Amino acid sequence: MDNKIIIKNMDKFYGRKQALFGIDLTIEKGMFGLLGRNGAGKTTLMKTLAALHKKKSGEITVCGIPIEKAGKIRAITGYLPQDFSMYPNMKTDEALDYLGALSGIPNKERKQRVNSLLRKVNLTEHRHKKVKELSGGMKRRLGIAQALIHEPKVLIVDEPTAGLDPEERIRFRNLLCEVAEERIVILSTHIVGDIEATCEQIAIMDSGKILWRGAVSELIKKAEGHVYTANVEKQFISQIKKEYIITGMLSQPDYITVRLISDAEPDLPNVEMTEPDLEGAYMYCLYSSGCDVKGGE
Amino acid sequence: MLFFKECKKILRSLTFWIYCIIVILMFFSQYYADANNEAYPDGYKIVMDEEKIMNGALCGLLGEYSANYYVCYPYGFYKSVSLKEKDKHKIEEYLMELTDTDSEGLTKILKQGEQYTVVTGMVEHTMYEFKNMNVSSELQYSRFKEIMENVDDILGGGSSYQIEELAGNYSFQEMTPEEEAAEYDLFISNDKVTGALARLFSDYLGIDLAFLPVFVAAALVAADRRSKASDNIYSRKISSCRLVFTRYSALIVTMFVPIFITMIIALIQAIHIYNDKSINVLSMFAMPSFWLIPNIMTASAVGMFATEMFSAGAAIIIQAAWSFRSLMSEPLAGSIGKFDLICRHNTLFERDSFMAHYNDFVFNRIFYIILSIGIIGLTAVVFEMKRRGVFNGIRLFGKGGIFGRKA
Repeated sequence: MDNKIIIKNMDKFYGRKQALFGIDLTIEKGMFGLLGRNGAGKTTLMKTLAALHKKKSGEITVCGIPIEKAGKIRAITGYLPQDFSMYPNMKTDEALDYLGALSGIPNKERKQRVNSLLRKVNLTEHRHKKVKELSGGMKRRLGIAQALIHEPKVLIVDEPTAGLDPEERIRFRNLLCEVAEERIVILSTHIVGDIEATCEQIAIMDSGKILWRGAVSELIKKAEGHVYTANVEKQFISQIKKEYIITGMLSQPDYITVRLISDAEPDLPNVEMTEPDLEGAYMYCLYSSGCDVKGGE
Repeated sequence: MLFFKECKKILRSLTFWIYCIIVILMFFSQYYADANNEAYPDGYKIVMDEEKIMNGALCGLLGEYSANYYVCYPYGFYKSVSLKEKDKHKIEEYLMELTDTDSEGLTKILKQGEQYTVVTGMVEHTMYEFKNMNVSSELQYSRFKEIMENVDDILGGGSSYQIEELAGNYSFQEMTPEEEAAEYDLFISNDKVTGALARLFSDYLGIDLAFLPVFVAAALVAADRRSKASDNIYSRKISSCRLVFTRYSALIVTMFVPIFITMIIALIQAIHIYNDKSINVLSMFAMPSFWLIPNIMTASAVGMFATEMFSAGAAIIIQAAWSFRSLMSEPLAGSIGKFDLICRHNTLFERDSFMAHYNDFVFNRIFYIILSIGIIGLTAVVFEMKRRGVFNGIRLFGKGGIFGRKA
């Protein structure tokens, strides 16, 4: 059995509306980031890979198993949905134990795994708390624990850090990197920082299509020569937003240093070409693919 | 074990405890109160006396025809019917045939009706009562039945003239002391007291159990969606069939527990009241279990299926309509239909009439066991389809629903 997810020319429809267009992707062991704006089709793709949605056409194999064999796919896949939730009155360890039972793990083994996973996600001292009493971060950690309870070969996590405070977000990213050492982990997010901190291989999605796929370093390289900084007086900011794609702003006492994307050198004061970061490279990718990314009013 | 985890989930739900309270309240207010004194037959009995049936039905029809006000219960719902001239004329012709008279003769007969007033809500109706009227001696019972069938059709069904209701409506008589003694003997010797008590117990509880379990089942299924836990459950390894059947078994077992407790209370009550009689302890458990479990199974199956397919609200409406229809279509005692969800025998006596329909009763219960398992099989199919994202359920009400406003 190969350790890859292979997607070939996959289309997905909701009724008559096409949600995914000819998706081609190969995902190997380790962390893989799926980056895109809200509504880009990331959740649809994640759910299709978790056998929760049916594709219209194309081929998907997960570790050699065709996606149509939903029972087998479920056995090797862990899924953390975008808004992870469980029965509010269940205790934390009970929820984990219940989902473990649904995964067919024998009693004795399940108890051990529940204890070890609660330790791993730092929830041991909260094990008797009801799910409704957990904070957002704790709930996500419970979510990752439930997705790992049956030791899946593939872990699919959909927008796991949205709404978390910076400390929780860093802890969560570290946890994901740790579990990615022995399996395929697909991280879907619209937060560039999550990808930057965890993934080497990524794909960028927009409007149901894959715009770009490859290594983070390649994406950054592609944007070289297109990212500039300039010092702009405050009253011209709204005008500049209409003309350029702004990826960052830093307020100074008399002016604002803007970081922007442009094909040619912009006609702005103190303009300088600069090294692109992942955020800039991502925005350049969207821009160069024809997406509307300008932030002007 | 998953089964116990599902039981625990049910035991934690408020709906389940409300179910328990209602079942126990119903038990005490209905069965326990009824069975709290030593029983002795002192009522009427239905007899299959053709002459009595024909004369009684004739009196009834003359009365309703005179007032042009017919009381019917199609599908168990009250409905008053007033006929138009054409249909009135048809009834008139049947009355002439029944009494073997012409139009003039019928007018004379109609004059014999005693007028009285009935108030329905805010409306007063003038009614007529006919006594001691006799059908023509020439009229065969088979022809009489045909006429009654046609009359019932004209009235839209559910009238007092339905063939199966004729004896119950028009042919009952007071029991003689000897008959009462014989009934009592059957109660003591053949039923060993608890056999009869078990039937009464099942009769009362059967009404509640044809409906109440739908709430618990719907709550269990709807909890996944309400807690936004569906995706976590859908993505697990367990097969849809195993999960749905495990949940179903847990529902039946947990909902049977309060019934079992009321059986024990009923048995203690029986031992206390009939302490000088020989009692069959097992009957108090065997008969109600066979009688009531199919009701729990059916209402739970409908609850699970309709909640997966539509919504919890739809499941409750469907089961409410079905159980009410069944309740209204069954006589209190003396007849058990092969396909009626609620079986009734609301008396400690009339053992013979129950035994006369015993085969139908057994067929009925087995039919509902098989039907409910079939419904649960379908539920597993719907669950799997939802799990694979090929079906999302059918919305009946609210925005975008079939009966709601357009999205």
